Amino acid sequence: MGFPKKIKKKIDLVPDKILLDRREQLLDYITEDGTYLPKSILHEDLDLGMLEFVKNDLSTVVSGKKISTIDIIITTQNWAQFAETWNFTDLDENINPPFIATVRNPDVKFGTNPALKYNIPNKKMFYYAKVPTWDGNRKGMDIYKIPQPVPVDITFNVKIFCNRMTELNAFNKVVVSKFASRQAYTFIKGHYIPIILENVSDESVLDLEKRKYYIQDYSFTMLGFLIDEKEFEVYPAINRILQMVEVVPPKRKRQKFIVPDLRDTDFYFTYLNGLTTLSQKFDFNADLTFGDLINVETYYVYVNNEYFGENSPLVFVNNGDTVSITIRKIDDNEDSKIMVTSKLI
Amino acid sequence: MNRKVPINRLSKFFGDKDFSLELEMGQEWLYGDMNFTLVLYQIDQSKTKKSNVYGEVEEDGIVYKTPVEFKGYVRVMEPQNENLGSTKLRNLEPGNIQISVYISELEELGIDIKYGDYIGYYETESRVRYYTVVNDGKVTSDNKHTYGGVYPYYRTIIASPVKDNEFRGN
Repeated sequence: MGFPKKIKKKIDLVPDKILLDRREQLLDYITEDGTYLPKSILHEDLDLGMLEFVKNDLSTVVSGKKISTIDIIITTQNWAQFAETWNFTDLDENINPPFIATVRNPDVKFGTNPALKYNIPNKKMFYYAKVPTWDGNRKGMDIYKIPQPVPVDITFNVKIFCNRMTELNAFNKVVVSKFASRQAYTFIKGHYIPIILENVSDESVLDLEKRKYYIQDYSFTMLGFLIDEKEFEVYPAINRILQMVEVVPPKRKRQKFIVPDLRDTDFYFTYLNGLTTLSQKFDFNADLTFGDLINVETYYVYVNNEYFGENSPLVFVNNGDTVSITIRKIDDNEDSKIMVTSKLI
Repeated sequence: MNRKVPINRLSKFFGDKDFSLELEMGQEWLYGDMNFTLVLYQIDQSKTKKSNVYGEVEEDGIVYKTPVEFKGYVRVMEPQNENLGSTKLRNLEPGNIQISVYISELEELGIDIKYGDYIGYYETESRVRYYTVVNDGKVTSDNKHTYGGVYPYYRTIIASPVKDNEFRGN
């Protein structure tokens, strides 16, 4: 009797994330346990991902016993095969069925994953992340750029060796159920890599005068991609702005300077455009007071080229002193004036 | 009742007595000098629980009758170093065993070697290899098995090695 559908068999204590949260979670997987950058995914990682997929997702149990899996890709190193299979060999040190082996075709073709197949040529680098930095004095940013991953198609043949039809059936059920939606995914360094079931074929040895056993071959294509950390670029972003403005001052005819009589009188230091310092020699003792600043932010008073003060309201000058006033303008493009009142002592 | 027809082939120069003498000499050589001993495990079809669809049994699920020792002339073929299927998984496949056994021996022991029965052959004191019969040699009409056409007198059995998970004498 079937279990009533309305009864939940288990309740998730932590609800699954959806929408934006889920997308952020996927991004977090990619950078988990590392830098801000994704980790390299090379051929070896893809192979390992397939082995993990076969071991975990295609695990098959028959009569209470799990079918052994060879956890390496068989290569030309014979000792490695022995080292991996010694625990389920017979007295002849042949591998005892039933077992599952994963064979990778040595040729890796350019990928057909539509998400990666069409790309911008010359491995253009793309912005990936902006990471804050601190060098002890200044805050800054590092820009992380990575190239578009290179798609690859890897063909794997997962073979079951057994001598009972029930074992074939059990494994077939697991595989076909897993790939009911055409493709399944393996999880490699934070990325979900699709695997497609291409074909099922039979290589069974059923000769009359030989040991009979079944071999069934499930051909899978992994739509993987390669990411190499060595190709990543990290460079500092802008952390200080220096703005430069070039101004061409207008040429004006120099005005004839007439020495005014400065005793007990008010006069102006007039700073034309581009001029910031004016000097005046006094032939008498006087008190100078400054007022009525036009387009002047700050002025500095020098007596006989010695600094007297900033924004000084009163300056005493002796006969023969030269007073220089340097100003800082509010608007550099406009003329400035300072009214000076001279009182003879 | 089956009719019996006297066999008079070759009787002028190779009669029953000659045939019996040759047979006794051969048995003396096989049992006395060669002395290859094998163990026959006959499947008990009625007690073995098998799948209704595939006729398979689970590991150690084969029930056999009381094992019987018999003697025969043994030739074990060379093992073959090969890949398993199209993989690079190496497998040193043991060779078949070919057993020549006197029909009279089987009649005396009251046994028959049938297709699918298992035969154990001790390679050392502690190591036995099991084989399954792939050719029970029941057709003995050829000249070789009839001593030039007189009577069938021995059978040639061919058996292939089996893995432990199929049969291991338990």
